[in-house]
Amino acid sequence: MITVTNFSKQYKGFTAVNNLSFSVEPGQILGLLGPNGAGKTTTLRTLCGIIPPSSGQLLVAGHDVVQAPIEAKKNLGYIPDDPRLFDTMTVWEHLAFTAAAYKLVEFEKDAEALLASFELTHKRNTLVHDLSRGMRQKVAIACAFLHDPKVLLFDEPLTGLDPQGIRGIQQAIRDRARAGAAIIISSHLLSLFENLCTHIMVLNLGECRRFGTMEDLLSEVAHTDSTSALEEVYFSITQAPDQTSETAAA
Amino acid sequence: MDPALCQLLMLRLRGGLRQRLFQMASLRGLLFSLAFGVIIWFLIASNSSPGTSFFGSAALDRQAFSEQIITFMPLSMFGLSLLTVLMTTGPTFHFSPNEINFLFTGPFHRRDLIVYKFAAYVAGVTLSSAFITLLVQQQAGSALSIFIATLLTLVFVQLNSAVISMAGNALDGSRFARIRWPAIALLCAIAAAAMLYAWVLHDHGVIDLLAEFRHSVIGTIVLIPYIVFAELFVAPSFADLALWAIVALLINAALLRAAIVLDARTTDRSLAENARLSNRWERIKQGGSFWATERTKVRSIHRAPILGGFGPIVSRQALNALRNSSKLVMVFVGLAACIAPISSALAMPVTEAQTLLLIYIFIAFILPRNMVCDFRGDLSRMEIYKTLPIAPWRICAGQLVVQTLLAYFITLIIIASALVFEERVTPQVALTLAAFALPLTFLIHTVENTVHLLFPTKLVAMGRADFEFLGRSIVEFIAKTTFIFAAMAASIAVGLVMLRMLGTTLVLPGLVSWLTLTVIGLLTLVALQYAFRRFAVAETID
Repeated sequence: MITVTNFSKQYKGFTAVNNLSFSVEPGQILGLLGPNGAGKTTTLRTLCGIIPPSSGQLLVAGHDVVQAPIEAKKNLGYIPDDPRLFDTMTVWEHLAFTAAAYKLVEFEKDAEALLASFELTHKRNTLVHDLSRGMRQKVAIACAFLHDPKVLLFDEPLTGLDPQGIRGIQQAIRDRARAGAAIIISSHLLSLFENLCTHIMVLNLGECRRFGTMEDLLSEVAHTDSTSALEEVYFSITQAPDQTSETAAA
Repeated sequence: MDPALCQLLMLRLRGGLRQRLFQMASLRGLLFSLAFGVIIWFLIASNSSPGTSFFGSAALDRQAFSEQIITFMPLSMFGLSLLTVLMTTGPTFHFSPNEINFLFTGPFHRRDLIVYKFAAYVAGVTLSSAFITLLVQQQAGSALSIFIATLLTLVFVQLNSAVISMAGNALDGSRFARIRWPAIALLCAIAAAAMLYAWVLHDHGVIDLLAEFRHSVIGTIVLIPYIVFAELFVAPSFADLALWAIVALLINAALLRAAIVLDARTTDRSLAENARLSNRWERIKQGGSFWATERTKVRSIHRAPILGGFGPIVSRQALNALRNSSKLVMVFVGLAACIAPISSALAMPVTEAQTLLLIYIFIAFILPRNMVCDFRGDLSRMEIYKTLPIAPWRICAGQLVVQTLLAYFITLIIIASALVFEERVTPQVALTLAAFALPLTFLIHTVENTVHLLFPTKLVAMGRADFEFLGRSIVEFIAKTTFIFAAMAASIAVGLVMLRMLGTTLVLPGLVSWLTLTVIGLLTLVALQYAFRRFAVAETID
């Protein structure tokens, strides 16, 4: 569903992502893990067509994001780390616009269901400017879910959410994966990955340091009582500067 | 354009109108909007009365006015284009973060997004054009012709700047980019040579040279696109207006097409520019004018002087001014230096009441609105100031030092330029003005800060139709001006009483007058201290 081959992104004299290759199949949830500046957000923003790649091929549902961006984007939902919405529009107007953008003829039923699942029904006519950050995050997720995309990209999806909201979003992500969506999540919350992800990719300085299933990764390190296994993996990889991407599985 | 983007435009327009109606629903919003409406009505009414117009009697000579437009408007627009080339990053199509998140990831063609932004801009300038038409209709003839000419010209200015910037970005790194600075140097050399030539030939001024260039064959060829828009403003008949409007439309269409083509080659630069402008907008909303939020890297001093807590506050605002407002200060210094020569050239010497009023508006309204190095830019940091172990009066005084000194420096430039270019301004007059300018500048900025802390509000309008903001700005300016004029009147009155009592010398009455103004300024500082103590951090600023 998502296939990335030899993807690189350079800004003026700076390599944000270097020769990255991976794939995510339907039903899989890939966690992108890495320190600040590792290239996680660049990878997600390139996959969803915000920034163009310098080289390599990125396929979403079989469509190249550079050659056939419209077809690729029709199958994609992106939830950014900062839920920027149109301040002067209501929650329902955001859903109505999203439906128009994706040419959904009868969207009302699905939109109402999404509002109910995110506990936003009573806020449907509220201006998003008047919502809390967590609520705006839920609106952004509802908009991304409305056209039932085959690929979902989450950048720090839990920021600003209360415990109830976190549980709700995690369940929604699981449900989408179960329904056959390929999902990528970028986050610094290791517990989120442990709860949700089937696969993990550790990025550092724009390069893939480790890619594999969650079980494979966890079996590589000794688990201690004081820290979680994934945390062990993370620090062992990101604090070993000499480690090259040779260990990365493509 | 994609129907969904049309729908988004309509939804956003409806949302904007809804927001304005919500503003009007509050008593304060209604009052400020009404105040704005009344002032605009007054301006339109006074413009329609002979002898009271903005443009004076010169504007009533339609023929001479048209000739001025035909000669100087293309030159000004060409100058603006050169400035865009010089500045590298001019206004292109700016997508806000919400548009990037929603539209860039949506199933839209890039050209549809450009057309969407263009349509949003046209909607905005339609409102501006209608407003300008209302204001100048009495001087300029038909309302329809002024509206069409203004609309098409504003669209052209935006598209032209965007295309120049995008072309610059597209050529960045190529061999063409290397000739940019030599070309700019050549243009500067030509400008300097022209000024020198004008200076040597006493019967020929720079303005005459520019007019000659405009009407020469080369000038006409270079300025052809700009001449079309000047012709729009002076079209004598509807048929002429229609003809020039069609040509202008074709030019704008060609520029829009060029913008779409160039956009595909400048995506990375465009995204970086979008991010830069969005971050800047966030800083503006936090506190500051658009022009005073350009970050510049400036080395800091290792340790600020303490001075009982006064030092760090002054030091913080000095760094703020250096890092955020240094370019703005330079622009204001340039403007201040030009006031006297321009007013002399326009036969409106700085000693005339009309010019003095304009200088007052520059010093008391334009300068404080754009240069923000005091409490007004620090409202989001008030809880830090409140918790500092420093006496409130020191914090207040420290906040004012840099703002007052910068404004005073700019005022001194105006006085110095008046001394050079205006015969009636003698060294004695200039020295007196310089002496009084310091307490007056201090008073202006203390009042500005006191009002802002007592009635905190945003520093920039939220969109073109933020009538509440515009009304409030005008009402505030009138109230502050009343107070400052009262202070000046009190100071002059005390001086006159002293002159009557002593009778002979002007020095002592002048000194007493100066002291009176200074004392009023210091008393206002006490009011600022009260406003600072009273300021509730938890209050939201709408």
